[in-house]
Amino acid sequence: MDLLDRYLQAVKKHLPWKRQDDILAELRANLESQLEDKEAELGRPLTQGEAEEWLRQIGAPMQVAMRYQPQQYLVGPAIFPTYWFVLRLVFLWATVIYVIVSAVQISAARAFSDSFVLEAVLRIPAVLMTAAAWVTLIFAALEFCFTHYPAKFREIAGKASGGNEALGLFSGFSGDWSPAALPAVEEEQNHGKKPRSYAQAVAEVIFGFLFLVWLLLVPKYPFLLLGPGALYLRASPFQLAPVWIQFFWWVVTLNVIQLAWRSIDLGRGAWQQRRIAEQMAIKAFGLIPMGILLAVPDHAYVALKHPALDQAQYGGPLATLNDTIHWGLQIACAIVVLQLAWEIAQMCLKVYRKRVAAAR
Amino acid sequence: MTISDNLFENLRLELRRGCLTLAVLAQLRQEHYGYTLRKALAERGLAIDESTLYPLLRRLETQGLLASEWREEDKRNKRFYRLSSDGERIFGQLLEEWQAINTSINSIL
Repeated sequence: MDLLDRYLQAVKKHLPWKRQDDILAELRANLESQLEDKEAELGRPLTQGEAEEWLRQIGAPMQVAMRYQPQQYLVGPAIFPTYWFVLRLVFLWATVIYVIVSAVQISAARAFSDSFVLEAVLRIPAVLMTAAAWVTLIFAALEFCFTHYPAKFREIAGKASGGNEALGLFSGFSGDWSPAALPAVEEEQNHGKKPRSYAQAVAEVIFGFLFLVWLLLVPKYPFLLLGPGALYLRASPFQLAPVWIQFFWWVVTLNVIQLAWRSIDLGRGAWQQRRIAEQMAIKAFGLIPMGILLAVPDHAYVALKHPALDQAQYGGPLATLNDTIHWGLQIACAIVVLQLAWEIAQMCLKVYRKRVAAAR
Repeated sequence: MTISDNLFENLRLELRRGCLTLAVLAQLRQEHYGYTLRKALAERGLAIDESTLYPLLRRLETQGLLASEWREEDKRNKRFYRLSSDGERIFGQLLEEWQAINTSINSIL
């Protein structure tokens, strides 16, 4: 039957090459016996349509051939939890090391430019992808060893776990972990609130990163912040005072710290907790750039591009504008300080209540 | 197919997978080649696709549970399978396990 020959030929192309002739001969014998039975039942050969339907029921050639392949994983379910844990750690340390190296390179550069920082930030995804590729490659090799030499692998994994089986990376494979080595129960910090989901924590890191990129692009492309107002600013007689450059880099630093903190939480698997101390530290740190702005002599936030020419015409409105900005900053600063004081008071109260409860 | 149908199908396949191995081992206490084995199982109410059964036979043979030989029958070369001595021992253990599970499930129900 021509159609069966064509079908078997298509199956052969996807069979494991070492055993393909043997498998194919067996498959042919089975299918020919089945065909004979069908034809004996009908009392005639199958029509083209019936033969097609029969082969369709058996399955697509590639699908049939694939069933003869051994089950293979790049990183199988037994190793995957360790892989995921290591990948998160590698992401964390790769970021930390990269940030330190980049900071050293930028500070060593002769002419400092915001584009150096932007380039360094934009290189982070490529660095992380390279790190992930290496980790995956190593774990694919481990998976190969685990599948082909399970006894030896378990023995080595047991030794690699050392004394601390519960915390050892390979403790899941050695099987003799100790429940006594498990870490103490972490203190509840959510105060009854729903814990943050992993997706939310990842989204915070991704959007934090995108925000940082956006922020670093603003000096070069002011329209990203001001929109059409950027054109007006260029045409107007006013310009921002140099203190804003100082303020800008403080804000960038604040965001880098926040992003690093969130990434570390994610890497450590501690994203579920809302860390009050972390939030308070960020808020306290945020007071520094505000303080820098408030300390500007003569409240000079906006200056004239050509003071000699425009002072007479724009001097009055400029002074009003600078005073208004100063007032706004004072109010914003007062709100943040009050908020921070309230949170510190709440934290102290909580610690006090805990001590009182413990004393009873 | 709805999500619930899909879920049922996945659970059904999971439930069947172990039972199929047991049924194949049980049936191969007598010698069969692929097609007659499939027919014998279908006659007892356990229909298995060709694309599932024939690779399963290969896998069980690789694991040492089955022994096979090529032989001519009805002017055609066929590969005949039967339980190996290891296969007989493991089949006995699996059967005990299955009966224990069956008894437990029945008592729960």
